[in-house]
Amino acid sequence: MNRKILVLLLGLMLFLILPSLAFAQVQVRVRIIEASNAGPSIDPALRDVHDQLGSLFNFSSYRLLRDVNLNLAGNRPVEVPVHAGRSMEVTLVGEYGKMVELRIKITREGLPVLNTQVRLSSGRTILIGGPRHGGGVLIFALSAKF
Amino acid sequence: MKDSCSSVSELLEKYHDQEVTKQERSLVEDHLSECSACRVLATEMKELGSLLKAPVEEAAGKEDFYWVWQKVQREIQERPRLTWWESLRSRLGVSPLFRKKVWVPALTAAMLILSLIVVPALMRENTSPTKLSTVEYVESPDYNVMIYEEEKGNVTVIWLFDGPDQEAPTS
Repeated sequence: MNRKILVLLLGLMLFLILPSLAFAQVQVRVRIIEASNAGPSIDPALRDVHDQLGSLFNFSSYRLLRDVNLNLAGNRPVEVPVHAGRSMEVTLVGEYGKMVELRIKITREGLPVLNTQVRLSSGRTILIGGPRHGGGVLIFALSAKF
Repeated sequence: MKDSCSSVSELLEKYHDQEVTKQERSLVEDHLSECSACRVLATEMKELGSLLKAPVEEAAGKEDFYWVWQKVQREIQERPRLTWWESLRSRLGVSPLFRKKVWVPALTAAMLILSLIVVPALMRENTSPTKLSTVEYVESPDYNVMIYEEEKGNVTVIWLFDGPDQEAPTS
């Protein structure tokens, strides 16, 4: 067997296998919402999730503070600044077939508020809420697309 | 000594060792049949040869030439070591299966199938349609945490409570 043929075969194998092992890029949409009971007002930008929010929470007002699209690559944290010294860091830590695993860290003045790791399928949303903000609370809506 | 004797005596040793030509042999043998002095000399040479040959043959008969085998073995061991590539080639060359070139595309096809089917299958984990989002872990040093997963919907909620006065705002 020719040496060159073997080297070519090995190269072909690596070419085929390595891309399947590497992470694909994942798009994550982060929407930061202020929910309160200060009058009935719905941000038009939240029309697509209004019904969902209404069925889950008992707030009368939802206002979109920030809408960010993140392109995540494997194990590279991306930071999203939030109001009032808060910050959110999202990292793609793995891909498992039709799901991606995200690590989400929320900090306030550099101190940890929440550290969580979730698995999401494409199109699903995870809501993280509770931190007080103004007269209401903050809700972080994260959805992944891949 | 005659001139012919001196020329024959020079050939006698070669004659005894059977290294003479046909012409020299006939010359020596003709002379020996006529010359008794040279014949005596040839007989003495033959006896001396027998005396020397006997102990050598006796020693050679007793020897099993073990040292010869040892030397051959040493030569084999001292051959330069093959590189991994040469070793692989020689092993593949030994197998009659690998001598047929049809195995090259066959193996390539098998590897392609493996890489395209098996690797993604191994990487697939937890693809059950009922588990479309899961919380692996949650930690919060200052907040109480509630995780709410809708049974039929497509939303998972992680809610942070920062004190006893804050109640869950769910409807």
